[in-house]
Amino acid sequence: MTMFHFFNCAILTFGPHAVYYSATPLSEYDTLGTSVKAALVYLGTALVKLVCLATFLQVSENDGFDPYQELLKALIGFIDVAGLYFALTQLTHRNISQNHKFQAVGLGWAFADSVLHRLAPLWVGARGLEFTWDYILQGLEANANLVLSISLAALGSLIWLRKNKPKTLIPIIYACAGIVATMPSITSYLRRGLGWHFPKVVGFELFTSLVMAFISWQLFSACQRPYV
Amino acid sequence: MANSKKPGGLREMLESMYSVIALLFILVACVELCDAAAAFDVYRLIQYDMSGSPFGSRFAALNHHAASLHFPPGVDLSRTVLIIPLRELNITFVREYINQKKPLGGLLVLLPEVLSFKTGGNNQVHEKEKMKNLLAELERLLIHSNIPYPVYFAFENDEIDTALADIKKNDLMGQPATATTGGYKFVIPTAEPKKVASPTMTNIQGWLSGLKTDGDANQLPTIAIVASYDTFGAAPALSVGSDSNGSGIVALLEISRLFSLLYSNPKTRGRYNLLFGLTSGGPYNYNGTQKWLRSFDQRLRESIDYAICLNSIGSWDNELWIHVSKPPENAYIKQIFEGLSNVAEELDLKVGLKHKKINISNPRVAWEHEQFSRLRVTAATLSELSVTPELLESTGGLFDTRQYVNETAIVRGVKLVAESLARHIYGHQGKNIQIFADESSLAVNPAYIRSWLDVLSQTPRVAPFLSKDDPFVMALKKELAGHVDEVNVQHETLEGIFTFYDSTSARLNIYQVASVTFDLLLLLVLGSYLIVLFSFLVITTRGLDDLISLFRRPPSRKLKTA
Repeated sequence: MTMFHFFNCAILTFGPHAVYYSATPLSEYDTLGTSVKAALVYLGTALVKLVCLATFLQVSENDGFDPYQELLKALIGFIDVAGLYFALTQLTHRNISQNHKFQAVGLGWAFADSVLHRLAPLWVGARGLEFTWDYILQGLEANANLVLSISLAALGSLIWLRKNKPKTLIPIIYACAGIVATMPSITSYLRRGLGWHFPKVVGFELFTSLVMAFISWQLFSACQRPYV
Repeated sequence: MANSKKPGGLREMLESMYSVIALLFILVACVELCDAAAAFDVYRLIQYDMSGSPFGSRFAALNHHAASLHFPPGVDLSRTVLIIPLRELNITFVREYINQKKPLGGLLVLLPEVLSFKTGGNNQVHEKEKMKNLLAELERLLIHSNIPYPVYFAFENDEIDTALADIKKNDLMGQPATATTGGYKFVIPTAEPKKVASPTMTNIQGWLSGLKTDGDANQLPTIAIVASYDTFGAAPALSVGSDSNGSGIVALLEISRLFSLLYSNPKTRGRYNLLFGLTSGGPYNYNGTQKWLRSFDQRLRESIDYAICLNSIGSWDNELWIHVSKPPENAYIKQIFEGLSNVAEELDLKVGLKHKKINISNPRVAWEHEQFSRLRVTAATLSELSVTPELLESTGGLFDTRQYVNETAIVRGVKLVAESLARHIYGHQGKNIQIFADESSLAVNPAYIRSWLDVLSQTPRVAPFLSKDDPFVMALKKELAGHVDEVNVQHETLEGIFTFYDSTSARLNIYQVASVTFDLLLLLVLGSYLIVLFSFLVITTRGLDDLISLFRRPPSRKLKTA
């Protein structure tokens, strides 16, 4: 039963990535290489972030919300954005359209994030006899993260790869990108500062990820119209 | 050159990486973390064979779902652990279950925390008598039954109380825990219990020499004071026997201390040798005492004037009993009894005489003095028990904890025995002289009694589980050695009709488990979620035709190739 539960949580956490890859035209255009490269860039970004956190952050005794520390963490979180920029612009991709490029990068990014943050707790914890809801919630969080990563990649590609944008939409694009980039800080504020429980936080993440995905989809198609 | 080296070096690096990765996989696969909701100590019911017949709980390992007493009637409990707190225990229910051999996965009895010698050791017990009687009855039932499933005792704590409340709620709703309905799982991972190979009994004797004048010291008469120090109970890891016979041991140590003070000065040394004996094997027909006496030199045995055995003198109010096996008209018995009654009168307490004949052909030895009497040595047992105990009764059971012993009673008992001994030794019978008067340097020390009683109340002392060099036995020996001239330790094997099995305590893990149906449902939900996600993505990115064509592709491909 316990391996069964582990299997269930694993397909909840990693299944959507595989499904996304196979369902969309990404599989037809064989963009696996791009996703793998994006995952490696994520690994590198994570290492840099780790070093910065270790150097600049002080470990607080209590689990409360320290604004200064959280601000520092948010700034370090922007290294994520830098990494995404690197993955989108600097890596040599084959001739795949911009439409598919950001999806592949976002997918690889989200997959690396899930593996790094969620595989080890899953393996160690979900196999035990003791049952908790934590791992299912973690899987839902992985899903929300996938959507957020793809939205962030979309907005990033809009910002850095597309030169002709309608002037009115630019501030909206930047605002949305900012919100999505600071999502980790927002969730940690909710968890620590307001004391929300894990299920509530996961629900909030799912909701905002869907909203952000919708907004970025609209923005993307709005920017695409002059070309069509 | 450089080119050929590079691939070789790369291959080596890859190989070493493979081995590291393989090791990592093995390590990861072996990680079996025990993240139980709660884990605490539990103590197993004793398992023993008497003359080949099995008694006690015959199994140790446990891995079943838990149920409380509110289980729906008619449900099969053969793979369930029944949890019964002591205050809800109905002895007729348990008796019926055991006698009718109803199948059960396991039994866990929760004892009130106040009885634990590790935590609530000094608090007062409410409804002392009721609890004592209930525990005594339960113990008697469990010890003399052959139970084919594990029986454990545990002390109530917060974690198990919450778990039990949850279990009761589930049971009342009519859903006992099984593999398909979730609930709590109790796991005790121990090995099968094995026989204890050669259980040892260790007898400790201390010798205090009397004053040699112009005769041989060996011809001085000897008085023996004996107490057995081991216990037997339903839960051997909890059998501390504060009264039976912790009180006896403490009294013996205090008497030896007082007489060592007297004997240290040659002017006050008596013309009697004193022999102190801490014997083992008490619950098993005083087997240890028998072996100890048999090991004596004939001359030593003949020089023993009389022996006083101490058995349970810790919780009496006003009356003590002297048990003898020789008829009361016997001159020596009369002497002993008179000596004790005179002192008793002065101390404002009563001693009664009880005579029980011994039957040589009956192997049952109910009192320690009977072992002396069988070898024609005058002896008597001083005890608060007026009725002769049965086999394996009054040997330090579940209820015999610190709270049930009164140290003032022990102090008075020590005064009684010490004064009467001293009057006999120094020839002051019938005279009103207080040798061990209060406020004197020879006063009985209540602090000494209290500290040793506390130590004894935290040490389970079931003989087969005490090794030859057990630290407690060594401590007793050391303490006695400080008061007497010479200490000898005798190791014997506990043979005879008893065989014991180990595994007396273990660790219980409580897991809150979800049922298999829950995971199956979850699998269904996740499968449908992924299928829906897949279809949604295909429709939005490639169009509905592509989705339909996915299911039609194999036939169309065949048509194309054909």
